[in-house]
Amino acid sequence: MNARPPMDIPNAAGAPAILRRLLGLLRRERGWLAGGAALALLSMLAGIGLLAVSGHFITAMALAGVGGSAINYYTPAALIRLFAILRTGGRYVERLVTHEATLRALAEFRVWLFGRLVPLAPARLGALRSAELFSRLRADVDALEHAYLAVLVPLAVAAAATLAVLAVALAYLPWLALGLLLLLAAGGLLLPWWTLRRGEAPGAEAVAAAESLRTLAADGLRGRAELALYGAEGAHAARVATLTARLQQARRRTDGLQALGGAGIALAAQLAVIAALLLGVPALRRGALTGPDLAMLALLAQAGFEAIAPLPAAWAQLGATLAAARRVFALADTAPAIAEPAAPSPAVADHGLDVRALRLRYDEHGPWVLDGLDLALPPGRRLALLGRSGAGKSSLVGALLRLYPYQQGEIRLGGQPYAAWQGDDVRARIAVVEQQPYLFDASLRDNLRLARPDASDAQLDAAIAQAQLGDYVASLPEGLDTWVGENGTRVSGGEARRIAIARALLADAPILILDEPTEGLDAGTAAALYQALATAMQGRSVLLITHRLGGLSTLVDEVAVMAGGRIVERVAAEVYRARRDVESGAEVSA
Amino acid sequence: MSPTPVRWLRERARPVRRLLAAGIAAGAAQAVLVCAGAWLVAYVLAQAIFAGRGLAELWPALATLPPVAAARFALSLWQRRATFEAGARVGAGLRQTLETRLRALGPLWAARQSSGDLVTRLVDGVEALTPYYAGYLPQVAFTALVPVVILLAVLPAVPWAALVLLLTAPLIPVFMILVGRSAQQASERRWTRLRRLGARFMDALSGLTTLRLYRAATREQAALAAAGEAYRRDTMAVLRVAFLSALVLEFFATVSIAVLAVLIGFRLLAGRLDFQHGLFVLLLAPEFYLPLRALGAQRHQRMDAVAAAEGLMELLADDHATPTEPAGVRPFANRRIALAFERVGYGYSAGRAVLHDIDLAVEAGTRLTLVGTSGSGKSTLFTLLMGFAAPDLGRITVNGEDLALLDPAAWRRHIAWVAQRPHVFRGSLRDNLLVAAPEAGEEALQRAVQAAALTTVIARLPQGLDTPLGERGQGLSGGEAQRLALARAWLRDAPLLLLDEPTQHLDRATAAAIDHALERLAAGRTVLRIAHRLDNLADEERVAVMAGGRIVESGRVATLRAARGAFARLLDADRAA
Repeated sequence: MNARPPMDIPNAAGAPAILRRLLGLLRRERGWLAGGAALALLSMLAGIGLLAVSGHFITAMALAGVGGSAINYYTPAALIRLFAILRTGGRYVERLVTHEATLRALAEFRVWLFGRLVPLAPARLGALRSAELFSRLRADVDALEHAYLAVLVPLAVAAAATLAVLAVALAYLPWLALGLLLLLAAGGLLLPWWTLRRGEAPGAEAVAAAESLRTLAADGLRGRAELALYGAEGAHAARVATLTARLQQARRRTDGLQALGGAGIALAAQLAVIAALLLGVPALRRGALTGPDLAMLALLAQAGFEAIAPLPAAWAQLGATLAAARRVFALADTAPAIAEPAAPSPAVADHGLDVRALRLRYDEHGPWVLDGLDLALPPGRRLALLGRSGAGKSSLVGALLRLYPYQQGEIRLGGQPYAAWQGDDVRARIAVVEQQPYLFDASLRDNLRLARPDASDAQLDAAIAQAQLGDYVASLPEGLDTWVGENGTRVSGGEARRIAIARALLADAPILILDEPTEGLDAGTAAALYQALATAMQGRSVLLITHRLGGLSTLVDEVAVMAGGRIVERVAAEVYRARRDVESGAEVSA
Repeated sequence: MSPTPVRWLRERARPVRRLLAAGIAAGAAQAVLVCAGAWLVAYVLAQAIFAGRGLAELWPALATLPPVAAARFALSLWQRRATFEAGARVGAGLRQTLETRLRALGPLWAARQSSGDLVTRLVDGVEALTPYYAGYLPQVAFTALVPVVILLAVLPAVPWAALVLLLTAPLIPVFMILVGRSAQQASERRWTRLRRLGARFMDALSGLTTLRLYRAATREQAALAAAGEAYRRDTMAVLRVAFLSALVLEFFATVSIAVLAVLIGFRLLAGRLDFQHGLFVLLLAPEFYLPLRALGAQRHQRMDAVAAAEGLMELLADDHATPTEPAGVRPFANRRIALAFERVGYGYSAGRAVLHDIDLAVEAGTRLTLVGTSGSGKSTLFTLLMGFAAPDLGRITVNGEDLALLDPAAWRRHIAWVAQRPHVFRGSLRDNLLVAAPEAGEEALQRAVQAAALTTVIARLPQGLDTPLGERGQGLSGGEAQRLALARAWLRDAPLLLLDEPTQHLDRATAAAIDHALERLAAGRTVLRIAHRLDNLADEERVAVMAGGRIVESGRVATLRAARGAFARLLDADRAA
């Protein structure tokens, strides 16, 4: 099935629209999200306030000490204690609430995305077949899930805290407010913008170099025998060294820019203090400002920059988040290849499949992959479909399973056209033994139960025995609880095929499709599989798809030969066998 | 006893300790400048507020502030550059060490690894180390150094304030351990589980079609929601505790400021303290705890580095896998090669032999065909011949000399190999051919391409021989990759040809072209080949039948076919399939 659906649908939506949509998805958690941001702001302001009030307090106390005048020190001292408590406790609660919000958002988002992607598989989800696109999707989902903590909270807190600091400065010393605005903008907006711009090229270079290095490392493992035999290991190591140097050169530049962003904010904070002194001292002389207020403003000027310290990282993350959101939303917004009918599926008396003049192609201007295909599979009939690779066999399976749309002609199930059927109801009547069955990273039991979640152990055992898996399961240290799939026990091609047969048996559907059941297996393993297949076929309609029939011909009643997207010949299995024995080697080779 | 990952990481820092020390010194110098800046600010404010001085009198102090700020700026950039360099050098050195290691571990070991995992370790694992040396390790030093500098600055100004800081100072190492241990464990658990949850989500996405086939998508969606919910509840329980250590740290950092402010205020009121000194201390108080708080933010660098170090240590550990290379040194050069296996036994792991008592002899310039079911040990014979492993028992001789005594590189120059699944390197077809013979000229290349029936493949590629191959470029089918290996063998022009015959179904014209090319290539050479299809073996072909790691039958095809033994049974199974 080689349809290539569009992945990068151009999306002109701007950043605010994307963020609104992201937040809209999480509206059920908006209380947590807003609460977390508010708490973060509170503890930030408490920290800034603590320093500013302390400066004011000690100056006022010193003035009172020098002047011998009375002073109300209860209020500022209480304020200092309050800020200290708000700061300490606020940080703790803030962290809990923002993490709670993140985890809730994460669960919500994943369930949403999963639900959107289900109807797209596999016809519209090329991303899941290419390792590269899949790992990009993984990174995108990751970026979106951390958008709240890494982007939204820092940006919101920086904006609100900056406004608060500027408002205070404006009340005491308007020119200082302007100076702070310029410095905060320089450190929090301009410099990050500039470093991001400058960092784009080395950043892309680093990604490309790391990717090349990965390829090279994979070459060094998969091709180690060739490298050793051809004496090319030294040259390989030299290439690794060269690429490492290239990668590090790019990283050196991005790292330097990152350091520049951080150091720039620290520099701006110190310049803000100098500005406060330069503007504040004359104001003090003029009597426009009191001593304590000047000390407070100097400390406020410096502390205010704490709020924008996370901004360089947040801006960088924002770009990544928006790009990720664009891609994920474009994928999630893809229209399913097949629209489900509104009405429930029709009730039918039998499960005959009837394909008439079927034409299918994967894109509008592409060649017809199925080109006027006629095929009837009455209930209980066992038919082998024989054809070279590229003859359209897999495309027919995709269409029969209602996973890929067709453009012309018709498929009928039990006499009712596919258009009237819910896809799930079609698939409930067809079990398929996939050529490369997907094993989930779960126990063997869970992988089997996929086909029938309520299967009892006895039913599982029966399916395992019928699929000739008994010896294999007995050889596993933990039996059915053995972990298989990505991080589990390695499963050979033959074993995976038999697991798929057991699944199909458990699914217990009236129609069975076998997709290249013996491809890639050696003769001995294939022979062992015939028995399992024969059991699975009992009492079912069968469509057996292969490019090389061989011994499989004993399992079917009829053989249909497919070429150029249509059936070119259909004969009884005995006739086919007899003919093959006569002109041995006339078999279709792919 | 292997060192802990942290000790291992610190040992890697030894060659770059000068760079790290320079970076740390720059950090300490920044702390000194922080103190100087605070002193100047306190001076200006004290003079302005209490002595009524204006800008005209205060300009020397004010004019000193920008250079101090600029010096801090420059030092922090320089420090980062130095420590980055340290991290980069450790990474580059390690990658070379790993290359040497992979070479020693050899092709057999490489073939057994899951390449995705290992590539992640080799590339991303090494990359994860740089931030550890560039960021985390210097930060640890700052956490110890900066408070000392500040303490020394505060001590002469306000001794009792220094005492307050000093009293909390011993708590710093306590917190480092506190933050280090419990929080780290908690957050590691959390990250592991988050990764697992993420892995499950991605697993569900990769298997989406299968889920749809079994109408399990809705069930899986509910399961994902439940898993997310359970994860949230568990995690929050852990976090409530994990964040406590940060709370304690925050508490001390904040409260020390508040306490100092209040104490300073009352001493100033009582006239027992000079304002400038009091303000100086207040300005420095936040800086005292700053490095420790920054350390917490960089903890993930340490976690990533430790996780990466574990993977790399395992790879570099000596007991991981004994190098299997034969260590012979005798030079070898001969255009005629006679081979003999003498009672050879071999097992990939101890106690599980895959070859037993193999006796075989192939005279120079002749051909022997190996047949047998998969797993019978045929390709292991090739592995031993190429010197990727040495026999556990018995010996292999080349022209009567023990293979184990020959220099492997010299010996391998005599071998051309057509693998069943040859590796196609990232690069062009030309690069892929030149791997086998880097000095081959254009003419030789063209001859090899023609002989291996690759001409049609090249015609299909947009840039011919120079088209990039690989995931993003044009791919080669299994059959085409084998023809590439055949062309490599042709270029190699070696006296011994190891040939694993195609199992891929080729169209007849191509199959015939390749058969013809193989015949020509084999002429005059010693050939050992593995055949998968038995029905087209010629009657006079010499065959050895393998089963269960032994040679169970050998002789001419015609003889064996008539003998109704193992060969005949294989032939039947082959015809039936």
